[in-house]
Amino acid sequence: MASAIHPSDPLAADGRGWRLAGRLYMAVGYFFLVLPIATMIVFSFQKGQFASIPGQGWTFQWYGKLFDDGTLLAALLNSLIVSPLAATGACVLGFLAAYSIHRFRFWGRGAFSVLLVLPVLIPPLILGVAFLGLLSRIGLQGQLSSVILTHMVVITAPAMAVIQLRLGQMPSSLEEAAWDLGATQFQTLYKVVLPFALPGIAGGWLLAFTFSFDEFIIAWFVSGFEQTLPVAVYAYIVGSVDPSLNAVGSIVFALSMLSLIGVELLLFPILLSQYRSGDD
Amino acid sequence: MNVISDIAAPQVDLELRGIAKNFGDFVALEHVDLSIERGEFVAIMGPSGCGKTTLLRIVAGLESMSSGQLLLRGQDISALPVHKRSTRLVWQNFALFPHLNVRQNIAFGLTLGRHDKAAVKAKVDEIAELVQLGQFLDRRVSQLSGGQKQRVGIARALVTEPEILLLDEPLSALDAHLRIRMQSEMKRLQQRLGLSFLYVTHNQSEAFSMADRVVVMNKGRIEQYGPPEEIYTRPRTHFVAEFVGSNNIFDGKVVDMQDGLIRVQCADAIISAAAGERPPGKGSTVSLVVQADKVRSSPIGMPGENMLGAVLSGREFTGSQVIYYLETASGGEVKMVAQEPFSQTGRAAINMAMQLYWSPADTVVLRPNIVPGVENMPGRHSYVALGT
Repeated sequence: MASAIHPSDPLAADGRGWRLAGRLYMAVGYFFLVLPIATMIVFSFQKGQFASIPGQGWTFQWYGKLFDDGTLLAALLNSLIVSPLAATGACVLGFLAAYSIHRFRFWGRGAFSVLLVLPVLIPPLILGVAFLGLLSRIGLQGQLSSVILTHMVVITAPAMAVIQLRLGQMPSSLEEAAWDLGATQFQTLYKVVLPFALPGIAGGWLLAFTFSFDEFIIAWFVSGFEQTLPVAVYAYIVGSVDPSLNAVGSIVFALSMLSLIGVELLLFPILLSQYRSGDD
Repeated sequence: MNVISDIAAPQVDLELRGIAKNFGDFVALEHVDLSIERGEFVAIMGPSGCGKTTLLRIVAGLESMSSGQLLLRGQDISALPVHKRSTRLVWQNFALFPHLNVRQNIAFGLTLGRHDKAAVKAKVDEIAELVQLGQFLDRRVSQLSGGQKQRVGIARALVTEPEILLLDEPLSALDAHLRIRMQSEMKRLQQRLGLSFLYVTHNQSEAFSMADRVVVMNKGRIEQYGPPEEIYTRPRTHFVAEFVGSNNIFDGKVVDMQDGLIRVQCADAIISAAAGERPPGKGSTVSLVVQADKVRSSPIGMPGENMLGAVLSGREFTGSQVIYYLETASGGEVKMVAQEPFSQTGRAAINMAMQLYWSPADTVVLRPNIVPGVENMPGRHSYVALGT
C-alpha cells in the first residue's frame, strides 16, 4: 500500500516483493508458534479421545474430568499459592536489594549485586539437587514452603532487575528534596521512593510470578507430594495421555497470558517513557 | 555551642565560618567565610566547578564539610542532619514528587509529622495564592509548565516557614523570556516575605538584577563579596575583573607617582590611575582594570592621559549599544562599549586605526598579593585591589 505513493519509483516494485516475502515469512513463523497452542485449545474442547481431525463435536468433559480427578486441580491450586507468595517475597527482597545498591556506596557492593544474580546463572538442575540436599538436612523438604523458598531464590534476580531499572530513573534530587523538607530516611523511603518504584515493583511481581508459575525442574526436586502444576502435568503425562492435559494446558496458557498482558500494560509504558514530573 | 551564638549579631541569619570541603585530593572549598543578614538577597556566582553548589548543599545539610562551622540565626547547625535544619532548597530540576499533585507536593513538608488537616489546607491555599498557583492545585505535576513547576518548588519550601531559602540555579531550566519575568517576581516575593535568600547562579545578570550582595567565587574561594555595583565598578581581584562584565585588563610596572596618580608602564603605553590611599611602590607589578564602557575614542594625535593607539578588529551591534574589539600594537585586545555607533569619525571600518582614552579615575589598580590566610601555600597568588 505504501508503495502506491511512489508508482514511478523503479525500486517500489522490488520493495513490494521483499515486503511480501517478509510478511509471508512472518506469517509462517507465527503459524508454527501458534499452531500447537491453538491445537491444544481446540482439542481441549473436542469429544475424541485422540487427536484427529476436529469434528467429533464439542464438549467440556475434559475440564469436568479435571475437576473430578482432583490431582491436577490440586496442583493448580498449589501453584496459585506458591507463585504469588514467592513473587511477593522476591519483590520485597528485590526492592530492598535494588534500593540499597542504587542508594548506597558500600564495601562489597559489586560482589553483592553479582551474588543476587548468581542463582539465575546456575543451571536449575544443579540448583534443584543442591536445594533438595540442603532442605532435607534441615527437614524442610517436600512442603509447599520449600517450593516457595527455592523459587524466591531464583526469581528475586529478575524482579530486582526490573525494580532497579525503575529506580535508575529516579533523580537523586527527589530523595534529597524529601529530606530537605524534613522527611526522615524512612519517611522518604515510604512516601517518595516506594511510590516512585511502584510500577517497577508491580512489573517485577508479574515477571517473577510467571517465572515461578512455569518453573518445573527445581519444583520437581523439592515439591515432594505437594506438587505444583508443572510437576503434576509431568507426572500425568508419564502415566497416560488424555485430552485432560489439553484442558490443563489451556488453563495454564490463559493464566500466563493474563499475567504477561499485565506486564505489558503496566511495565512497558513506564520503562519506555522517561522520568516525567519535574524534570528535563 | 551557645557561647558562639552570643557573639553572633542578632540580625545575622546565616554565618559560615571557615567552611572547607575536600573530595579526596580535590579541594572543593578552601576556607569560606560568609555572613548573610536577615532579609538579605545574596547571590553566589562563579564559573562551573567553583564550589558554589557544594557550598549551598553544605548549608542545606546534603553534603558534609571537612571543617568549619555553620550558624543559622545564632544556632550552630553544623552537626544537624538535613531533615532537622530549617533551611529549604529550591532545585534547578524542580525535584517535584511525580506521584503527588500540586497540592500534595506543596503540603509535603507539613504532613510529615502530626498535623491538623484543616490548618495544612489553609496554609497551602495561602501560599499557592502568593505564588499564583491557586487554580492549579488539583493538577498533576506533569501537566505544569516549567515556570509553574518552579513556583510549586518555591511554594513547597516556603510553606514550611524556613529561616533561609537556598536556591540552586532555580531559573536555569526555563527559557530566557520566562526567566526574566520570574526574576522580578522572585525579588518581589523575597522582599514581601523579608526572608533571606541564598541564590546560586552562573548568570551574572541574574545575580546583579536580584541580589543585595553578590559573592564571586573561584576555585573554592570567595574572591569578592559586596553590592553588585561595587563588584561591577570596583573588582577587587584579577579574577573578578575578568569574570564580571567586559573589563579591559592591563599588566605593568609602576614607574612614577605624583599628584595622586600612579603611572604604570604597560605593553603599549604608560597608563595613569588614581593612586588611592595605599598606593603600590615604584617598581611593583600591578594590573589595571578599565571597564569597556569607560573607554572613549578620540581623534588621532590628541594629547592627554591614557592615550592608547589600537586597530579596530571587530564590531558587535547588540541593539542598545555597540561593542568594539580593538587590537593594540603588542597584540593585546581592548574592548570599548559605545551607546551609539560613532558619528564623529564616520562609520568605523575594520582595520581602521583609532585612538582610545579614558579617565585615570576610572582605572582600578590591582596589586598581585598573597591571599590572606593562605600565606604558607606557595603558588597561590591573586590580585587584591588597592585604595578601596
